[in-house]
Amino acid sequence: MTMKGFLLRGAVPLALLGSLAFAPPAPPRKTRIYLIGDSTMANKVRATFPETGWGMPLATFFDTTVVVDNRAQNGRSTRTFLAENRWQPVVDNLQPGDYVFIQFGHNDESQNYPDRYTSPEDYRRNLIKFVTETRSRKANPVLLTPVTRRYFDKDGRIKETHVLYSAATMAVAKEYKVTLVDMDKLSRELLQKLGDENSKLLFMELAPGDHPNYPLGRHDNTHFNELGARKMAQLAVNDLIAQHVALAEEHLAKPLPKNAVATPTGPNSQPTTP
Amino acid sequence: MLSRFLAATAVLSLWALVAFVPAPPSKIKVYLVGDSTMSIKQVKAYPETGWGMPFAAFFDETVTVDNRAQNGRSTKTFLAENRWQPVARDLHEGDYVFIQFGHNDEVPTKASYTPEADFTANLKRFVSETRDRKAQPVLLTPVARRKFDVAGQIEETHAAYAELVRTVARETATPLIDLDRSSQALLQQFGVENSKLLFNHLAPGEHPNYPDGREDNTHFNELGARRVAELVLADIRMLKLGLADRLVQGTVKKTVDPQAR
Repeated sequence: MTMKGFLLRGAVPLALLGSLAFAPPAPPRKTRIYLIGDSTMANKVRATFPETGWGMPLATFFDTTVVVDNRAQNGRSTRTFLAENRWQPVVDNLQPGDYVFIQFGHNDESQNYPDRYTSPEDYRRNLIKFVTETRSRKANPVLLTPVTRRYFDKDGRIKETHVLYSAATMAVAKEYKVTLVDMDKLSRELLQKLGDENSKLLFMELAPGDHPNYPLGRHDNTHFNELGARKMAQLAVNDLIAQHVALAEEHLAKPLPKNAVATPTGPNSQPTTP
Repeated sequence: MLSRFLAATAVLSLWALVAFVPAPPSKIKVYLVGDSTMSIKQVKAYPETGWGMPFAAFFDETVTVDNRAQNGRSTKTFLAENRWQPVARDLHEGDYVFIQFGHNDEVPTKASYTPEADFTANLKRFVSETRDRKAQPVLLTPVARRKFDVAGQIEETHAAYAELVRTVARETATPLIDLDRSSQALLQQFGVENSKLLFNHLAPGEHPNYPDGREDNTHFNELGARRVAELVLADIRMLKLGLADRLVQGTVKKTVDPQAR
Protein backbone atom coordinates (compact mmCIF):
# COMPACT_ATOMS: atom_id res chain seq x y z
CA MET A 1 0.00 0.00 0.00
CA THR A 2 1.36 3.38 -0.93
CA MET A 3 1.66 6.09 1.67
CA LYS A 4 -1.13 7.99 -0.08
CA GLY A 5 -3.31 4.91 -0.05
CA PHE A 6 -2.70 4.42 3.64
CA LEU A 7 -3.58 8.01 4.39
CA LEU A 8 -6.82 7.70 2.48
CA ARG A 9 -7.91 4.27 3.67
CA GLY A 10 -6.44 3.97 7.11
CA ALA A 11 -5.54 7.25 8.74
CA VAL A 12 -8.70 9.16 7.99
CA PRO A 13 -11.12 6.62 9.48
CA LEU A 14 -8.82 6.32 12.50
CA ALA A 15 -8.81 10.04 12.98
CA LEU A 16 -12.58 10.12 12.65
CA LEU A 17 -12.89 7.34 15.21
CA GLY A 18 -10.62 9.28 17.56
CA SER A 19 -12.67 12.43 17.27
CA LEU A 20 -15.85 10.47 17.87
CA ALA A 21 -14.45 8.73 20.93
CA PHE A 22 -13.40 11.93 22.63
CA ALA A 23 -16.10 14.29 21.40
CA PRO A 24 -18.30 15.76 24.16
CA PRO A 25 -21.78 14.21 24.37
CA ALA A 26 -24.11 15.54 21.72
CA PRO A 27 -26.42 18.29 22.96
CA PRO A 28 -30.04 17.17 23.44
CA ARG A 29 -31.95 17.13 20.19
CA LYS A 30 -34.06 20.20 19.65
CA THR A 31 -37.82 19.97 19.35
CA ARG A 32 -38.88 20.93 15.85
CA ILE A 33 -42.17 22.61 15.06
CA TYR A 34 -43.05 22.08 11.43
CA LEU A 35 -45.51 24.59 10.04
CA ILE A 36 -47.56 23.48 7.06
CA GLY A 37 -50.07 25.88 5.62
CA ASP A 38 -50.64 28.81 3.28
CA SER A 39 -49.57 32.44 2.75
CA THR A 40 -51.01 33.64 6.05
CA MET A 41 -48.38 31.50 7.80
CA ALA A 42 -45.50 31.43 5.28
CA ASN A 43 -42.06 33.05 5.36
CA LYS A 44 -41.95 36.04 3.01
CA VAL A 45 -39.20 37.22 0.72
CA ARG A 46 -37.75 40.73 1.07
CA ALA A 47 -39.42 41.86 -2.17
CA THR A 48 -42.84 41.51 -0.54
CA PHE A 49 -42.03 43.06 2.86
CA PRO A 50 -43.76 44.27 4.97
CA GLU A 51 -46.10 41.35 4.28
CA THR A 52 -45.42 38.87 7.07
CA GLY A 53 -46.68 35.35 7.68
CA TRP A 54 -47.46 34.52 11.29
CA GLY A 55 -44.94 31.68 11.24
CA MET A 56 -42.14 34.25 11.00
CA PRO A 57 -42.42 35.81 14.49
CA LEU A 58 -43.46 32.46 16.04
CA ALA A 59 -39.86 31.43 16.78
CA THR A 60 -39.39 34.46 19.09
CA PHE A 61 -41.92 32.93 21.50
CA PHE A 62 -39.80 29.86 22.21
CA ASP A 63 -36.47 29.19 23.88
CA THR A 64 -33.40 27.82 22.12
CA THR A 65 -34.47 24.18 22.54
CA VAL A 66 -37.10 24.73 19.84
CA VAL A 67 -36.61 25.11 16.10
CA VAL A 68 -39.47 26.43 13.98
CA ASP A 69 -39.31 24.94 10.48
CA ASN A 70 -41.79 26.94 8.44
CA ARG A 71 -42.78 24.92 5.35
CA ALA A 72 -45.96 26.91 4.67
CA GLN A 73 -46.24 28.20 1.11
CA ASN A 74 -48.15 31.03 -0.53
CA GLY A 75 -51.20 29.87 -2.46
CA ARG A 76 -51.24 26.25 -1.33
CA SER A 77 -54.27 24.19 -0.38
CA THR A 78 -54.07 20.80 1.34
CA ARG A 79 -54.41 19.25 -2.12
CA THR A 80 -51.62 21.19 -3.85
CA PHE A 81 -49.33 20.93 -0.81
CA LEU A 82 -49.56 17.17 -1.15
CA ALA A 83 -49.45 17.11 -4.96
CA GLU A 84 -46.20 19.11 -4.95
CA ASN A 85 -44.65 16.60 -2.57
CA ARG A 86 -44.25 19.16 0.21
CA TRP A 87 -45.69 16.91 2.91
CA GLN A 88 -43.69 13.71 2.48
CA PRO A 89 -40.31 15.35 3.32
CA VAL A 90 -41.85 16.58 6.60
CA VAL A 91 -43.00 13.06 7.49
CA ASP A 92 -39.58 11.66 6.60
CA ASN A 93 -37.87 14.13 8.93
CA LEU A 94 -40.27 13.90 11.86
CA GLN A 95 -38.80 12.67 15.13
CA PRO A 96 -40.69 11.57 18.23
CA GLY A 97 -41.79 14.62 20.21
CA ASP A 98 -41.79 17.02 17.25
CA TYR A 99 -44.87 19.06 16.42
CA VAL A 100 -46.72 19.73 13.18
CA PHE A 101 -48.94 22.82 13.05
CA ILE A 102 -51.49 22.28 10.28
CA GLN A 103 -53.39 25.31 8.97
CA PHE A 104 -55.09 25.37 5.60
CA GLY A 105 -58.43 26.49 4.21
CA HIS A 106 -57.90 29.85 2.45
CA ASN A 107 -57.05 28.20 -0.85
CA ASP A 108 -58.95 24.95 -0.37
CA GLU A 109 -62.20 26.91 -0.19
CA SER A 110 -61.58 29.07 -3.28
CA GLN A 111 -64.08 27.64 -5.74
CA ASN A 112 -63.12 30.27 -8.33
CA TYR A 113 -59.58 28.88 -8.47
CA PRO A 114 -59.76 25.31 -9.75
CA ASP A 115 -55.96 25.08 -9.58
CA ARG A 116 -56.14 25.07 -5.79
CA TYR A 117 -59.76 24.34 -4.85
CA THR A 118 -60.27 21.31 -2.63
CA SER A 119 -63.74 20.02 -1.83
CA PRO A 120 -64.68 19.85 1.87
CA GLU A 121 -64.57 16.04 1.67
CA ASP A 122 -61.05 16.05 0.21
CA TYR A 123 -59.95 18.74 2.67
CA ARG A 124 -61.12 16.54 5.52
CA ARG A 125 -59.37 13.48 4.10
CA ASN A 126 -56.12 15.43 3.66
CA LEU A 127 -56.21 16.76 7.22
CA ILE A 128 -56.72 13.21 8.50
CA LYS A 129 -53.70 12.11 6.45
CA PHE A 130 -51.52 14.87 8.00
CA VAL A 131 -52.71 13.89 11.48
CA THR A 132 -52.29 10.12 11.19
CA GLU A 133 -48.93 10.28 9.45
CA THR A 134 -47.65 12.74 12.08
CA ARG A 135 -48.74 10.33 14.80
CA SER A 136 -47.17 7.37 13.01
CA ARG A 137 -43.83 9.11 13.67
CA LYS A 138 -44.73 9.65 17.36
CA ALA A 139 -44.93 13.39 16.72
CA ASN A 140 -47.74 15.73 17.80
CA PRO A 141 -50.21 17.19 15.32
CA VAL A 142 -51.92 20.51 16.08
CA LEU A 143 -54.85 21.54 13.91
CA LEU A 144 -55.56 25.25 13.42
CA THR A 145 -58.63 26.72 11.79
CA PRO A 146 -57.77 29.31 9.09
CA VAL A 147 -57.17 32.88 10.30
CA THR A 148 -60.04 35.18 9.45
CA ARG A 149 -60.14 37.68 6.61
CA ARG A 150 -60.87 41.31 7.47
CA TYR A 151 -64.48 41.77 6.40
CA PHE A 152 -66.99 43.74 8.46
CA ASP A 153 -70.69 44.17 7.80
CA LYS A 154 -72.29 47.62 7.67
CA ASP A 155 -73.00 47.48 11.40
CA GLY A 156 -69.31 47.01 12.14
CA ARG A 157 -69.53 43.32 12.97
CA ILE A 158 -66.81 41.01 11.68
CA LYS A 159 -68.05 38.44 9.18
CA GLU A 160 -67.24 34.76 9.24
CA THR A 161 -65.19 34.02 6.16
CA HIS A 162 -64.33 30.33 6.48
CA VAL A 163 -67.54 28.73 7.81
CA LEU A 164 -67.34 25.33 6.07
CA TYR A 165 -63.60 24.77 6.27
CA SER A 166 -63.22 25.87 9.86
CA ALA A 167 -66.06 23.50 10.79
CA ALA A 168 -64.36 20.68 8.88
CA THR A 169 -61.09 21.34 10.73
CA MET A 170 -62.85 21.32 14.11
CA ALA A 171 -64.67 18.08 13.23
CA VAL A 172 -61.40 16.31 12.42
CA ALA A 173 -59.83 17.62 15.63
CA LYS A 174 -62.75 16.30 17.67
CA GLU A 175 -62.98 12.88 16.01
CA TYR A 176 -59.26 12.23 16.12
CA LYS A 177 -58.68 13.96 19.49
CA VAL A 178 -56.16 16.41 18.05
CA THR A 179 -55.13 19.62 19.83
CA LEU A 180 -57.15 22.37 18.15
CA VAL A 181 -56.41 26.08 18.02
CA ASP A 182 -59.47 27.88 16.70
CA MET A 183 -57.56 30.68 15.01
CA ASP A 184 -60.65 31.65 12.99
CA LYS A 185 -62.56 32.47 16.17
CA LEU A 186 -59.59 33.96 18.06
CA SER A 187 -58.63 36.23 15.18
CA ARG A 188 -62.23 37.34 14.64
CA GLU A 189 -62.46 38.29 18.31
CA LEU A 190 -59.24 40.30 18.03
CA LEU A 191 -60.40 42.10 14.88
CA GLN A 192 -63.80 42.79 16.41
CA LYS A 193 -62.10 44.35 19.43
CA LEU A 194 -60.05 46.62 17.16
CA GLY A 195 -62.96 47.40 14.86
CA ASP A 196 -63.26 47.97 11.12
CA GLU A 197 -60.83 50.89 10.95
CA ASN A 198 -58.13 49.97 13.45
CA SER A 199 -57.93 46.34 12.37
CA LYS A 200 -56.39 47.63 9.13
CA LEU A 201 -53.26 48.22 11.23
CA LEU A 202 -52.76 44.44 11.29
CA PHE A 203 -53.03 43.96 7.52
CA MET A 204 -51.19 45.02 4.40
CA GLU A 205 -52.56 48.56 4.14
CA LEU A 206 -50.12 50.87 2.38
CA ALA A 207 -50.63 54.25 0.76
CA PRO A 208 -48.89 54.81 -2.59
CA GLY A 209 -45.22 55.56 -1.91
CA ASP A 210 -45.26 54.36 1.71
CA HIS A 211 -43.04 51.39 0.90
CA PRO A 212 -40.91 51.03 -2.24
CA ASN A 213 -42.05 47.42 -2.66
CA TYR A 214 -45.59 48.71 -3.30
CA PRO A 215 -45.27 51.94 -5.31
CA LEU A 216 -49.01 51.99 -5.97
CA GLY A 217 -49.95 51.17 -2.40
CA ARG A 218 -51.84 48.12 -1.19
CA HIS A 219 -55.19 47.21 0.29
CA ASP A 220 -55.19 43.59 1.34
CA ASN A 221 -57.68 42.14 3.81
CA THR A 222 -56.11 38.68 3.92
CA HIS A 223 -52.37 39.09 4.41
CA PHE A 224 -50.76 40.46 7.55
CA ASN A 225 -48.13 43.08 8.14
CA GLU A 226 -45.50 42.68 10.89
CA LEU A 227 -47.89 43.61 13.69
CA GLY A 228 -50.73 41.40 12.49
CA ALA A 229 -48.42 38.42 12.06
CA ARG A 230 -47.10 38.81 15.60
CA LYS A 231 -50.60 39.17 17.03
CA MET A 232 -51.64 35.93 15.28
CA ALA A 233 -48.59 34.06 16.60
CA GLN A 234 -49.45 35.43 20.02
CA LEU A 235 -53.02 34.13 19.80
CA ALA A 236 -51.79 30.68 18.83
CA VAL A 237 -49.14 30.47 21.57
CA ASN A 238 -51.43 31.79 24.29
CA ASP A 239 -54.12 29.28 23.34
CA LEU A 240 -51.58 26.44 23.54
CA ILE A 241 -50.52 27.69 26.99
CA ALA A 242 -54.18 27.78 28.07
CA GLN A 243 -54.58 24.18 26.88
CA HIS A 244 -51.44 23.16 28.82
CA VAL A 245 -49.71 21.84 25.72
CA ALA A 246 -46.21 20.78 26.84
CA LEU A 247 -44.51 22.66 24.02
CA ALA A 248 -45.88 25.99 25.19
CA GLU A 249 -45.55 25.28 28.89
CA GLU A 250 -41.98 23.98 28.86
CA HIS A 251 -40.25 25.75 26.01
CA LEU A 252 -41.44 29.35 26.25
CA ALA A 253 -38.76 32.02 25.73
CA LYS A 254 -37.15 33.22 28.98
CA PRO A 255 -37.03 36.98 29.44
CA LEU A 256 -33.87 39.01 29.95
CA PRO A 257 -33.71 40.15 33.60
CA LYS A 258 -34.21 43.79 32.61
CA ASN A 259 -37.38 42.86 30.72
CA ALA A 260 -38.82 40.76 33.53
CA VAL A 261 -40.28 43.91 35.10
CA ALA A 262 -43.28 45.70 33.72
CA THR A 263 -41.88 49.19 33.33
CA PRO A 264 -38.45 50.56 34.16
CA THR A 265 -38.24 53.22 36.85
CA GLY A 266 -35.57 55.62 38.06
CA PRO A 267 -33.14 57.22 35.61
CA ASN A 268 -34.37 54.92 32.83
CA SER A 269 -38.01 55.79 33.34
CA GLN A 270 -39.85 57.22 30.40
CA PRO A 271 -42.38 59.94 29.85
CA THR A 272 -45.93 58.94 30.55
CA THR A 273 -49.12 60.21 29.11
CA PRO A 274 -51.84 61.24 31.55
CA MET B 1 -9.23 23.37 -33.19
CA LEU B 2 -12.80 23.58 -32.00
CA SER B 3 -11.70 24.50 -28.49
CA ARG B 4 -9.45 27.27 -29.83
CA PHE B 5 -12.38 28.61 -31.83
CA LEU B 6 -14.60 28.53 -28.73
CA ALA B 7 -11.98 30.31 -26.67
CA ALA B 8 -11.65 33.04 -29.26
CA THR B 9 -15.42 33.46 -29.41
CA ALA B 10 -15.61 33.68 -25.64
CA VAL B 11 -12.92 36.37 -25.50
CA LEU B 12 -14.66 38.35 -28.24
CA SER B 13 -18.05 38.07 -26.52
CA LEU B 14 -16.56 39.24 -23.24
CA TRP B 15 -14.93 42.19 -25.00
CA ALA B 16 -18.28 43.04 -26.58
CA LEU B 17 -19.99 42.94 -23.21
CA VAL B 18 -17.41 45.18 -21.58
CA ALA B 19 -17.43 47.61 -24.48
CA PHE B 20 -21.13 48.13 -24.94
CA VAL B 21 -22.84 47.54 -21.61
CA PRO B 22 -22.92 50.67 -19.40
CA ALA B 23 -21.07 50.22 -16.14
CA PRO B 24 -23.46 49.23 -13.35
CA PRO B 25 -23.87 51.85 -10.63
CA SER B 26 -21.17 51.51 -8.04
CA LYS B 27 -22.06 49.84 -4.76
CA ILE B 28 -22.39 52.13 -1.79
CA LYS B 29 -22.86 51.81 1.93
CA VAL B 30 -25.33 53.66 4.09
CA TYR B 31 -24.05 53.81 7.66
CA LEU B 32 -26.53 54.41 10.44
CA VAL B 33 -25.08 55.92 13.62
CA GLY B 34 -27.41 56.55 16.51
CA ASP B 35 -29.20 55.09 19.50
CA SER B 36 -31.74 52.39 20.42
CA THR B 37 -34.54 53.91 18.36
CA MET B 38 -32.47 53.06 15.25
CA SER B 39 -30.47 49.98 16.24
CA ILE B 40 -30.76 46.28 15.37
CA LYS B 41 -32.39 44.32 18.22
CA GLN B 42 -31.60 40.87 19.48
CA VAL B 43 -34.35 38.23 19.35
CA LYS B 44 -34.61 38.44 23.16
CA ALA B 45 -35.88 42.01 22.85
CA TYR B 46 -38.49 41.23 20.18
CA PRO B 47 -40.96 42.80 19.35
CA GLU B 48 -38.87 45.89 20.10
CA THR B 49 -37.57 47.04 16.72
CA GLY B 50 -35.21 49.84 15.69
CA TRP B 51 -36.24 51.79 12.59
CA GLY B 52 -32.94 50.96 10.92
CA MET B 53 -34.09 47.35 10.63
CA PRO B 54 -36.98 47.80 8.16
CA PHE B 55 -35.11 50.72 6.56
CA ALA B 56 -32.55 48.28 5.15
CA ALA B 57 -35.22 46.60 2.98
CA PHE B 58 -35.97 49.81 1.02
CA PHE B 59 -32.91 49.76 -1.22
CA ASP B 60 -31.76 47.85 -4.27
CA GLU B 61 -28.75 45.55 -4.45
CA THR B 62 -26.31 48.45 -4.99
CA VAL B 63 -26.86 49.61 -1.40
CA THR B 64 -25.72 47.98 1.82
CA VAL B 65 -27.22 49.45 4.96
CA ASP B 66 -24.66 49.09 7.77
CA ASN B 67 -26.54 49.76 10.98
CA ARG B 68 -23.99 50.72 13.67
CA ALA B 69 -26.54 52.33 16.00
CA GLN B 70 -26.34 51.07 19.59
CA ASN B 71 -28.81 50.98 22.45
CA GLY B 72 -28.20 53.67 25.08
CA ARG B 73 -25.51 55.60 23.25
CA SER B 74 -25.11 59.36 23.05
CA THR B 75 -22.72 61.20 20.72
CA LYS B 76 -20.30 61.25 23.66
CA THR B 77 -20.34 57.53 24.46
CA PHE B 78 -20.48 56.53 20.77
CA LEU B 79 -17.18 58.37 20.34
CA ALA B 80 -15.67 57.31 23.66
CA GLU B 81 -16.29 53.64 22.82
CA ASN B 82 -14.51 54.07 19.52
CA ARG B 83 -17.65 53.31 17.53
CA TRP B 84 -17.40 56.30 15.20
CA GLN B 85 -13.75 56.06 14.21
CA PRO B 86 -14.10 52.73 12.30
CA VAL B 87 -16.99 54.20 10.31
CA ALA B 88 -14.97 57.30 9.36
CA ARG B 89 -11.98 55.12 8.44
CA ASP B 90 -13.98 52.78 6.18
CA LEU B 91 -16.04 55.42 4.36
CA HIS B 92 -15.76 55.60 0.60
CA GLU B 93 -16.75 58.30 -1.84
CA GLY B 94 -20.50 58.17 -2.42
CA ASP B 95 -21.34 56.47 0.88
CA TYR B 96 -23.90 57.99 3.24
CA VAL B 97 -23.91 58.47 7.00
CA PHE B 98 -27.28 58.95 8.71
CA ILE B 99 -26.70 60.55 12.11
CA GLN B 100 -29.43 60.44 14.75
CA PHE B 101 -28.67 61.11 18.40
CA GLY B 102 -30.26 63.03 21.25
CA HIS B 103 -32.28 60.58 23.36
CA ASN B 104 -29.32 59.75 25.57
CA ASP B 105 -27.43 63.03 25.17
CA GLU B 106 -30.23 65.15 26.62
CA VAL B 107 -30.82 63.41 29.95
CA PRO B 108 -28.62 65.01 32.67
CA THR B 109 -29.08 62.06 35.04
CA LYS B 110 -27.67 59.53 32.56
CA ALA B 111 -23.98 58.66 32.31
CA SER B 112 -24.31 59.27 28.59
CA TYR B 113 -25.32 62.91 29.16
CA THR B 114 -23.68 65.27 26.68
CA PRO B 115 -23.88 69.01 27.39
CA GLU B 116 -25.33 71.08 24.56
CA ALA B 117 -22.00 72.53 23.39
CA ASP B 118 -20.42 69.06 23.25
CA PHE B 119 -23.45 67.64 21.41
CA THR B 120 -23.06 70.35 18.77
CA ALA B 121 -19.32 69.80 18.50
CA ASN B 122 -19.76 66.02 18.16
CA LEU B 123 -22.35 66.37 15.40
CA LYS B 124 -20.05 68.77 13.55
CA ARG B 125 -17.25 66.26 13.88
CA PHE B 126 -19.40 63.47 12.36
CA VAL B 127 -20.33 65.79 9.48
CA SER B 128 -16.84 67.04 8.69
CA GLU B 129 -15.15 63.65 9.00
CA THR B 130 -17.80 62.18 6.70
CA ARG B 131 -17.11 64.92 4.15
CA ASP B 132 -13.35 64.37 4.48
CA ARG B 133 -13.97 60.98 2.88
CA LYS B 134 -16.18 62.48 0.15
CA ALA B 135 -19.19 60.75 1.68
CA GLN B 136 -22.58 62.36 2.32
CA PRO B 137 -23.71 63.13 5.88
CA VAL B 138 -27.43 63.36 6.67
CA LEU B 139 -28.55 64.75 10.03
CA LEU B 140 -31.76 63.59 11.70
CA THR B 141 -33.46 65.12 14.71
CA PRO B 142 -34.26 62.53 17.40
CA VAL B 143 -37.48 60.63 16.79
CA ALA B 144 -40.31 61.71 19.12
CA ARG B 145 -41.31 59.92 22.28
CA ARG B 146 -44.97 59.12 22.86
CA LYS B 147 -46.14 61.88 25.21
CA PHE B 148 -49.51 63.58 24.93
CA ASP B 149 -51.03 66.31 27.09
CA VAL B 150 -54.45 65.94 28.74
CA ALA B 151 -56.10 67.45 25.67
CA GLY B 152 -54.58 64.72 23.48
CA GLN B 153 -52.00 66.98 21.86
CA ILE B 154 -48.57 65.50 21.23
CA GLU B 155 -45.88 67.12 23.37
CA GLU B 156 -42.38 68.08 22.33
CA THR B 157 -39.91 65.69 24.00
CA HIS B 158 -36.61 66.81 22.48
CA ALA B 159 -37.06 70.61 22.26
CA ALA B 160 -33.49 71.65 23.03
CA TYR B 161 -31.52 68.86 21.36
CA ALA B 162 -33.66 68.66 18.20
CA GLU B 163 -33.08 72.40 17.75
CA LEU B 164 -29.32 71.88 18.12
CA VAL B 165 -29.42 69.33 15.29
CA ARG B 166 -31.35 71.77 13.09
CA THR B 167 -28.79 74.50 13.82
CA VAL B 168 -25.84 72.25 12.96
CA ALA B 169 -27.55 71.23 9.73
CA ARG B 170 -28.12 74.87 8.79
CA GLU B 171 -24.62 76.03 9.70
CA THR B 172 -22.90 73.18 7.88
CA ALA B 173 -25.37 73.05 4.95
CA THR B 174 -26.07 69.36 5.68
CA PRO B 175 -29.30 67.69 4.49
CA LEU B 176 -31.70 67.54 7.44
CA ILE B 177 -34.45 65.02 8.09
CA ASP B 178 -36.58 66.52 10.83
CA LEU B 179 -37.72 63.21 12.26
CA ASP B 180 -38.74 64.81 15.55
CA ARG B 181 -41.39 66.88 13.73
CA SER B 182 -42.51 64.25 11.24
CA SER B 183 -42.84 61.55 13.90
CA GLN B 184 -44.79 63.92 16.15
CA ALA B 185 -47.19 64.44 13.26
CA LEU B 186 -47.51 60.67 12.81
CA LEU B 187 -48.22 60.16 16.52
CA GLN B 188 -50.76 62.98 16.47
CA GLN B 189 -52.48 61.36 13.50
CA PHE B 190 -52.67 58.06 15.39
CA GLY B 191 -53.81 59.75 18.61
CA VAL B 192 -53.34 58.87 22.28
CA GLU B 193 -54.70 55.31 22.09
CA ASN B 194 -53.71 54.10 18.64
CA SER B 195 -50.16 55.43 18.91
CA LYS B 196 -49.57 52.67 21.47
CA LEU B 197 -49.75 50.28 18.49
CA LEU B 198 -46.48 51.81 17.23
CA PHE B 199 -44.54 51.32 20.46
CA ASN B 200 -43.43 48.35 22.51
CA HIS B 201 -46.67 48.22 24.46
CA LEU B 202 -47.55 44.73 25.66
CA ALA B 203 -50.10 43.46 28.13
CA PRO B 204 -48.85 40.88 30.65
CA GLY B 205 -48.57 37.49 28.95
CA GLU B 206 -48.66 38.81 25.41
CA HIS B 207 -45.04 37.97 24.69
CA PRO B 208 -42.80 35.75 26.84
CA ASN B 209 -39.91 38.22 26.36
CA TYR B 210 -41.93 40.61 28.58
CA PRO B 211 -43.94 38.35 30.91
CA ASP B 212 -45.24 41.23 33.04
CA GLY B 213 -46.01 43.38 30.04
CA ARG B 214 -44.40 46.63 28.97
CA GLU B 215 -45.42 50.23 28.44
CA ASP B 216 -42.55 51.66 26.50
CA ASN B 217 -43.13 55.13 25.06
CA THR B 218 -39.69 55.45 23.50
CA HIS B 219 -38.97 52.19 21.70
CA PHE B 220 -40.93 51.00 18.71
CA ASN B 221 -42.50 47.70 17.84
CA GLU B 222 -42.30 46.28 14.30
CA LEU B 223 -45.07 48.52 12.97
CA GLY B 224 -43.74 51.71 14.56
CA ALA B 225 -40.21 51.04 13.33
CA ARG B 226 -41.43 50.56 9.78
CA ARG B 227 -43.66 53.64 9.86
CA VAL B 228 -40.73 55.74 11.10
CA ALA B 229 -38.47 54.27 8.41
CA GLU B 230 -41.13 55.29 5.89
CA LEU B 231 -41.00 58.86 7.24
CA VAL B 232 -37.24 58.90 6.70
CA LEU B 233 -37.73 57.54 3.19
CA ALA B 234 -40.26 60.26 2.36
CA ASP B 235 -37.69 62.90 3.30
CA ILE B 236 -34.91 61.18 1.34
CA ARG B 237 -37.15 61.64 -1.70
CA MET B 238 -38.15 65.20 -0.79
CA LEU B 239 -34.50 66.22 -0.32
CA LYS B 240 -33.75 64.59 -3.71
CA LEU B 241 -30.77 62.74 -2.30
CA GLY B 242 -29.02 60.56 -4.88
CA LEU B 243 -29.85 57.65 -2.61
CA ALA B 244 -33.46 57.95 -3.77
CA ASP B 245 -32.37 56.58 -7.16
CA ARG B 246 -31.31 53.33 -5.51
CA LEU B 247 -34.65 52.27 -4.07
CA VAL B 248 -36.13 48.88 -4.72
CA GLN B 249 -38.25 49.03 -7.86
CA GLY B 250 -41.38 47.39 -6.55
CA THR B 251 -43.55 45.77 -9.16
CA VAL B 252 -46.29 44.39 -6.97
CA LYS B 253 -49.70 45.37 -8.28
CA LYS B 254 -51.98 47.75 -6.45
CA THR B 255 -54.63 45.55 -4.93
CA VAL B 256 -54.91 41.85 -4.46
CA ASP B 257 -57.73 39.58 -5.14
CA PRO B 258 -59.48 38.89 -1.84
CA GLN B 259 -58.38 35.32 -2.36
CA ALA B 260 -55.23 34.26 -0.62
CA ARG B 261 -52.44 33.70 -3.08
